[in-house]
Amino acid sequence: MLTALKVIPQLLCWAILVPVLSPSLAGTATAVAAAAGFVAGVAGENLLLAYVGGEIPFRPLRGICGVIFLLLWGASVWALYRSGSTRSEAEPPAPGPIAAGAAAVSVGVLAGALTLCRLAPLDGGAVRLIPYLSLAGAGAVVALGAAFLAKYLPERLAPRGIPLLALVVSALMVMACSVQRLDLFSPLSMEVMKFIHDFVHQFFESMLIPDHPFFRSDVWGYIGLLFGDKVGLWGGLALWYLPVLFIALALRLERLPSVAHIRQGAARRKLLAAFIRERRLRLAAPLLALLFLTGAAYQSRFPATEYWDPKPIEVTATPAGQIAIPKKGEVDLEDGMLHKFSYRQGSREARFFVMLTPAGQLVTTLDACAICQPEGYGQAGNAVICYYCRTLIPLETVGKPGGCNPVPVACSVRGDAVVIDAMMLLNTWESTVQVTAHGKGMGK
Amino acid sequence: MAAAIIETSQLTRSYGDICALKPLDLCVPEGEWLTVMGHSGSGKSTLLNLLGGLDRPSGGSITVRGTDLATLSEDGLARFRRDCVGIIFQQHHLIPYLTALENVMMSQYFHSVPDEAEARHALERVGLGHRLKNRPGELSGGEQQRVCIARAIINSPRLLLGDEPTGNLDHKSTTMVMELLRELRDEDRFSIVMVTHNQEVAAWGDRTIHMDDGCLVREERTKGC
Ligand SMILES: Nc1ncnc2c1ncn2[C@@H]1O[C@H](COP(=O)(O)OP(=O)(O)OP(=O)(O)O)[C@@H](O)[C@H]1O
Ligand SMILES: [Mg+2]
Repeated sequence: MLTALKVIPQLLCWAILVPVLSPSLAGTATAVAAAAGFVAGVAGENLLLAYVGGEIPFRPLRGICGVIFLLLWGASVWALYRSGSTRSEAEPPAPGPIAAGAAAVSVGVLAGALTLCRLAPLDGGAVRLIPYLSLAGAGAVVALGAAFLAKYLPERLAPRGIPLLALVVSALMVMACSVQRLDLFSPLSMEVMKFIHDFVHQFFESMLIPDHPFFRSDVWGYIGLLFGDKVGLWGGLALWYLPVLFIALALRLERLPSVAHIRQGAARRKLLAAFIRERRLRLAAPLLALLFLTGAAYQSRFPATEYWDPKPIEVTATPAGQIAIPKKGEVDLEDGMLHKFSYRQGSREARFFVMLTPAGQLVTTLDACAICQPEGYGQAGNAVICYYCRTLIPLETVGKPGGCNPVPVACSVRGDAVVIDAMMLLNTWESTVQVTAHGKGMGK
Repeated sequence: MAAAIIETSQLTRSYGDICALKPLDLCVPEGEWLTVMGHSGSGKSTLLNLLGGLDRPSGGSITVRGTDLATLSEDGLARFRRDCVGIIFQQHHLIPYLTALENVMMSQYFHSVPDEAEARHALERVGLGHRLKNRPGELSGGEQQRVCIARAIINSPRLLLGDEPTGNLDHKSTTMVMELLRELRDEDRFSIVMVTHNQEVAAWGDRTIHMDDGCLVREERTKGC
């Protein structure tokens, strides 16, 4: 039952996609093609899993999603470029039935494959027969039902050309982003964050930032903004929304038709008004696409699968006050995942985690940062996420101080164990938590 | 004879048990200037409102430029008024806090999109090129009526309706407004249906019909003075 609820957002997107596709292409036949594509996508992926074996092809699927998003970027830049130059007098030619059918089938296959991922068991392997069959059926029914209802929609609302592409891509993004391993938005925002961090580091290292007492507080204020934990989110959102905004802008910038040859003022104005009204209608598609992208980004911030968040393992210190954790003990510290521990001494307690960074270094940090309430971190792919503010911290920067990064704790690797000073751990924890835990408003 | 712009057959309008318009057959050829006269309460405004699509008949049919107004929906009527009719009232119904130019542009806006140059040109045509930025309160009655004419013709109507447009004006202004209407009609070739109590004003039209108690009682040819 719960599994059925999980695919509702996907099916909703699908229900909107089909009518969007069908009047713009070749009518009901397209809806049938799309429905068939969906069933084929679901079935193909599951058969692949059941008979050929192996994992769900997350990487290729994500690759395809990435490529179509890039395609949207390209198309939007093209649209914007063209809107500035001349106005295309003729409507873009409607695609022929074969092209339309092919487009509908491929969108259907992709939609089906993406939706099935939502049902896939976490340990890989095929989806059980009943959910799988019901998904295929639901997809087909939704497609045909939506196409039927779409007949009652005015044809003027049907998007064409690049706005149609925007709508299709953004709906597919919603489908992809709710599956954690297909999510494009969080890696995007992470890349942005990494890029900005690297940029600022390089800038600093090349000494372009004045280190003068007068400049310092101001300049560091701005740099602080760049390092702020939301920069990845905002930068990612910008890259995420820009193509659709470009498309909307291109529509808005489209030149008015030339009416100089019409002598009567009222007739001239009427033609202009009709064009402006139609242009406004065409903005509906990009706006809906923006809505979809917002949904996708939202789902991405709260991925469906749980974060990797192991229960802290209690550790004890030696009489000399050292905590030693074997690299290959109860857990494998070097498997690239974060491993949580807790240390208790009387009434004092500290939570921390150890992990291997992509650079190959074992780092130890508090399970808290210097600014948020100490709600701790989980791991999502190649980032850890602060549960309090939902900021993604790329693994590359774990172990470095600042922002919402987990507060580093000095450790040393002795032989096959990581060794931490217990007193120092407790003191760091307490001094961090004292600042952040009091008063909800204070942290952020 | 030119094709008819207006054709009514057995057109009636009653308000409750008051029969404001008794079955009326009327035909107005394209380009004609028709004057409607009659006592107060004889149903002149009622007829004009029906012709302009401001009101719906109780019975009979009314066809303007080939469309039966009785069959139009509210939206259709609004579109008809926007595209085909210009109306001038005795009370000017100008928007007091807008300038003359803005009043005309408002009419363009409700029709399609405003176009300032065209609105300015229309006001120049009615001889108000120098009063564009004045509000109605700063204009004389005759000037206000001319703004109304500019507003009424801005969307190139095929039919201009006037309900006592000169009722408030003195002799000189009346003549000016009538001359202006004659001039505009000769240029743009629209038809005019005008209600008046003034014999002199009636003389400007091509034909006059007299109404009494909702009935057409008499009609006469007047070849404009
Ligand atoms: N909305 C209404 N409700 C009820 N009766 C109305 C309405 N409008 C007009 N009447 C009546 O219909 C009759 C004709 O009115 P109408 O306004 O057409 O007269 P008129 O010829 O324009 O008169 P005037 O020259 O005074 O303007 C009058 O008896 C009037 O009382
Ligand atoms: Mg009257």
